[in-house]
Amino acid sequence: MFDEPYRWVEAIGQRRDYIEDQIKRSTPVLVSSVQEGIVFYTFYRKIPKVYEIYDRIAMGAIGHPADIEAIRMMLLNAAHVEGFQRSPQDVTLNRLVLFALSPRLKTAFEDVMSSPMLFRSVLAEVGSTIQKDRLMLVDYDGNVEEASGLVVAGGTGTARDRVLKQFPLKEDKKRWTLQEMLPRFLDAYLKGVFEDDELGFDSSGNCIDEGKFKQARTRLFSEGVANVSLLDRKKGTLVPLEIPVPPVPEEEISR
Amino acid sequence: MSEWHNDGSFLDLLGSRLTVVPSLGGASPEALSGFVETHATTILAFHFGGGVLVAGDRRATAGNRIMTNRIEKVLEIDGGSLMAIAGSPAFALEMARVLEHTFKYYRRSQLAELSVEGKLRILSQLLKENIPMAVQGIGAVVPLFVTQDPESKESKIYFYDILGAHFEGVPFAVGGSGSLEVQGILRYLDRWGNSGRGLSAMPEREAVILSLRLLETASYFDSATGGVQVRETVYPVVKILDREGIHTIEEDTLKEIYRTGVESV
Repeated sequence: MFDEPYRWVEAIGQRRDYIEDQIKRSTPVLVSSVQEGIVFYTFYRKIPKVYEIYDRIAMGAIGHPADIEAIRMMLLNAAHVEGFQRSPQDVTLNRLVLFALSPRLKTAFEDVMSSPMLFRSVLAEVGSTIQKDRLMLVDYDGNVEEASGLVVAGGTGTARDRVLKQFPLKEDKKRWTLQEMLPRFLDAYLKGVFEDDELGFDSSGNCIDEGKFKQARTRLFSEGVANVSLLDRKKGTLVPLEIPVPPVPEEEISR
Repeated sequence: MSEWHNDGSFLDLLGSRLTVVPSLGGASPEALSGFVETHATTILAFHFGGGVLVAGDRRATAGNRIMTNRIEKVLEIDGGSLMAIAGSPAFALEMARVLEHTFKYYRRSQLAELSVEGKLRILSQLLKENIPMAVQGIGAVVPLFVTQDPESKESKIYFYDILGAHFEGVPFAVGGSGSLEVQGILRYLDRWGNSGRGLSAMPEREAVILSLRLLETASYFDSATGGVQVRETVYPVVKILDREGIHTIEEDTLKEIYRTGVESV
């Protein structure tokens, strides 16, 4: 079947389309450095999306739960064996992603006779300072994109861009605190999940219907569970954070 | 993608790569008769008003030789567990590393803390695997293990025998060659000391003073216990496990407490 290069390329193309189609409805995971560490911000319906991998290293992922679990365990196993046999200091995001995860994802993606991995993630390593933090976007085909500031694993490129638009590049340089960042995360997350008309925004991005905005926010909290964690700079562990649930609009209460 | 099974066992994951207990490689016990093991110590743990205090001296000996005066025998395993080691440091330190990774691996893979009973049994398992070395007199490990229930935040002290059985130390436990003197004093103080209120009502500063006095007393009778060596500025390791977690008493604080609460009294 794949004896001709063209057919293999065509199969790969179809595989990419299939994966993109499967994960397009996933809600995004937002990851950013703050003074206290690295924040992971998302909501889930069935299973959490943010996981601690090793000391100082965590992962936020979207896709099929079984694929996320397989990759999570592969990373956990690789990191813990390495940390035990050498030293926890030798377990780095760079080595885990570039030498363990990325090649396996690429091999899995190009093996067109096996079922594809539905997976997209952000992996982060917290450093002693914000400048030493590392954030990597890792895709289902093994592609790795290192970034700073805010990184988003979104179901579609459009959703990702809508979120990133909320954080202009010039603001990346600012050293945000956790408390400053959390409300901004919520607003950006809403943009990544809902269309402008669902949020009561016009085409220029101005809010023209605050009621719709509040309704969308209420839906987010009632239909999903907040999955917000801090990869703590001092402790090096992933600490779950409680975020305040916004008040339900009066029109929702009267229904 | 292989390696995706998830039973939370770090020991199974390591499998044959686990080398805590070495093979004798066919060597008979007689062939090892000239081997001088590094060991001997005094470690102690007791409940006081603010939690549990765990302390240990810093000396490691091999026969009549002092190998070092700066070994750390009270080790943090995770945010709520401490292990104090007596016996062969080679195996004890390796066991501590295995425990640390085992607890972390379980928490991260199962998304839940390992139970107190589960933690105790893993250490038992490691000690049982060490029995062949221990009975030949070249690798005995007799640890104290202090851990906190993640739900109730209640801390408990456990001590082990050489075969891996564990027992709860209420309100204290001791280990090592200098432990006999310390054990008697702790029993006396818990029954009649602190104006009849026992150890469990003692404030933190008094508990730290007591631990330094106990280690100095142990070193008076046991040459393998380092005690407090002011001239060498080697102070014991003193750690406290309370509801907030583990904190280490800094050397400067120990120095001040030793000067005012031990030396000048």
